[in-house]
Amino acid sequence: MTNPLLDDRDVAFTLYGVLGAESLLGLPHFEEHSRETFDAFVSVAARFAREAVFPATRALDEDPPRLVDGRVLVSPRLHTLWPKLREMGVIAAARPFEVGGQQLPLAISTAASLYLMAANPALFGFPGLTAGAAHLIEEFGSEALKALYLEPMHEGRFTGTMALTEPHAGSSLADVSTRARPAGDHYLISGSKIFISGGDQDLSENIVHMVLARIEGAPSGIRGVSLFLVPRLRFGVSGLEPNDVGVSGLIHKIGWKALPSVVLSLGEGGDCRGWLVGAPHQGISCMFQMMNEARIMVGANGVATASVAYHESLGYARERPQGRLATSKDPQLPQVPIIEHADVRRMLLRQKAIVEGGMSLLLQTALYADRASHAATEGERQHAQVLLDLLTPVTKSFPAEKGFESTVLALQIHGGYGYTSEYLPEIFFREQKLNSIHEGTTGIQGLDLLGRKVVAHNGAAMRAFAEEIARTCERAAAAGVAASWIGALTGAAVEVSELTKELAQRGRSGDVEGMLCHSADYLELFSTTVIAWQWLLQAAAAREAMASGSSERDFLEGKLAAAQYWLRTELPRVPALVTLCRENEDSYLTMRPSWF
Amino acid sequence: MNHVVCIAYVPDTDTKIKVGASGTSIDEAGVKWIVSPYDEYALEAALRAKEAKGGTVTVLTYGPAAAETGLRDGLARGADEAVRIASEGVGEADSLAVATLLAAQIKTMKADVVWLGNKGVGTDAQLVVPMLGELLDLPHVTLVTELDWKDGSVVAHREIEGATEIVEAPLPVVIGAQKSKAEPRYASLKGIMAAKKKQIAVKKPADLGVDIASMSGANAAVVWTKLELPAARQAVKLVPADDPAKAAEELLRLLREEAKVL
Repeated sequence: MTNPLLDDRDVAFTLYGVLGAESLLGLPHFEEHSRETFDAFVSVAARFAREAVFPATRALDEDPPRLVDGRVLVSPRLHTLWPKLREMGVIAAARPFEVGGQQLPLAISTAASLYLMAANPALFGFPGLTAGAAHLIEEFGSEALKALYLEPMHEGRFTGTMALTEPHAGSSLADVSTRARPAGDHYLISGSKIFISGGDQDLSENIVHMVLARIEGAPSGIRGVSLFLVPRLRFGVSGLEPNDVGVSGLIHKIGWKALPSVVLSLGEGGDCRGWLVGAPHQGISCMFQMMNEARIMVGANGVATASVAYHESLGYARERPQGRLATSKDPQLPQVPIIEHADVRRMLLRQKAIVEGGMSLLLQTALYADRASHAATEGERQHAQVLLDLLTPVTKSFPAEKGFESTVLALQIHGGYGYTSEYLPEIFFREQKLNSIHEGTTGIQGLDLLGRKVVAHNGAAMRAFAEEIARTCERAAAAGVAASWIGALTGAAVEVSELTKELAQRGRSGDVEGMLCHSADYLELFSTTVIAWQWLLQAAAAREAMASGSSERDFLEGKLAAAQYWLRTELPRVPALVTLCRENEDSYLTMRPSWF
Repeated sequence: MNHVVCIAYVPDTDTKIKVGASGTSIDEAGVKWIVSPYDEYALEAALRAKEAKGGTVTVLTYGPAAAETGLRDGLARGADEAVRIASEGVGEADSLAVATLLAAQIKTMKADVVWLGNKGVGTDAQLVVPMLGELLDLPHVTLVTELDWKDGSVVAHREIEGATEIVEAPLPVVIGAQKSKAEPRYASLKGIMAAKKKQIAVKKPADLGVDIASMSGANAAVVWTKLELPAARQAVKLVPADDPAKAAEELLRLLREEAKVL
């Protein structure tokens, strides 16, 4: 069976049947679009991903970039794929017409990107990073910088990077030490950056690095960090000329191999020029405005890799004969495909619930992002923004963490073959791990959710979330979804709400450590409840489709089975985690480094 | 130079075909429709010719309204205009009926090159290209992988068994495209948005002066009497190889008596 990467029916069902994405067409910003343009773009992305990108998976994994004479050379296959990908217009798809984009909703461009990420996350890293860097320039750059850089970046002639991390400053950006010295209309940059994805390659004419650095005399800590545009080649009188950006190392990763990760040295010759983007000392603030987008993209990668792994194992389970059912052990009978074994279906159903539940949340969050920017009224925009902020850490971390578990199940279903490099799951397994690490580790997402998001604006986000759950329960009841499923979600939501109030009170009373000690458990119980919300929505939409006489009976029954799985076997884990947080179980809080 | 590319909208080649209740057509429930892959090569060749030498590309199909998705895809890739000959209300149309309708439409256009895929993957009949040549009274060349342009003529490279045949034909000409090195492009989002704004001209058979009722359904030259799926593949039969001589003997017997290939 050919791996479809994602189930087209599921993408359409979730976008339109579950989440009502067509309602975006009523907003002036999207009036140039139609369901046909949405479908056409998703369809082109899916086709390119299936026909051209996915078949190159093994080759790209086995042909990582090489550092030759100070330049990074990428696989020749990338040179074939990259022009086609950039010509499709993925980089600027969601940007406004006036900057060369096509004003596609983020929800639709995310759905299209899922296929490309599933086919190869590393390849999609190039347009993803370029889009992020260009968006920073569009939002905070001077008119001169926009005029020079936006068009070639949107066309993919120039690519972009995020140059934040330094050898001693990864998650802790307050410790960034790269320097910027004023020199007329620009700054002279000096320092070193590490783990810079796409930091050098021979695919594009130029590379535009968005660099965090300190202006001389800036205050220490997070409030002294500024954002600079530092091109590999700068515009000179006779065209593009070197800008003293060097590659001092190439990092050998276990996955995402087609996307080079490099160590950059800036200004070793004293002539690396950078141009300020945004106000001085506001670099972190600028970066954080882009952070929602970047984290949603990581969540999308988590969903995408879990999805391709799920479909790989589903195809294998349908075709691999092994053993006989417990009820018929006659050795003369032919062996049955392993999908006939209940334990294999357990693993497949868990994957399905994680993949499709994660995708539903991802697209829901992207829709909030679209409405936060383009809804008709200020009130609607604020409501969507509050929910976007609340759900972003979950949208980033759930697909990364549970998507990893799901990908491991794909390997498990392949049995001994899964543990070999002859089969694809081991690649997916390596690709997936990155998603819980980059763009804020899972630990940071837990702290962000509990320490900031749920308590922001006096709990306004939690109230908005409770309203969304109530609306979903009403829809589910009207569609005829089992009352016990609705009750399960309502009960969990009440528990989460009460726990949140208690923990917030603990923080307000000065016991910050007591509040945040179980932030990882809180993130898990919150995520489990959020996904249960999405599965109740999916179940409601499935019931509605059945009532309207849909011919896709098997697909819809599968939706109800997955909803039941999540609501009846995953959601009951929430109370145990609530107890952990409430009782503040202190084993790792009191454990001392010397006791290990 | 004006190019007309005829495209067929056919079931996706990944579709698991089921026979419909009539027994003479497929069950279309849940079928995903695509532009026939050989037609995509034809379109790509036409677009490249336009880019190299100027002119226009028109995509043309015979089919239901849903087939306009295929035409829009052609417009998104770079075609300038699109025409659909409506199949609504028409009985089953065989290759001759389709070729007659396409020819009637093409006669209203100034086409220098009429392009088609060498075959539509729907029925694989490979009849429309030569029929169209005859109906238009134009030379036709099938299995074309490459075309060189000369003043007033084309030199076509034909893929034949174990070799390439090179033939020259005067313009206008009907070309049946084979798969080639010129891989079909993907539509861009910008192209999709531009295609949305273009009108698709819709013609009824009567508009073209074709009495389609006299050549379709029960009156068609070819009437489908029965459609059935190929027999399911049988399970692999393993011949034990403990004794190679006996295994070879058994293998020969199976090939003669069961597979009947010797």
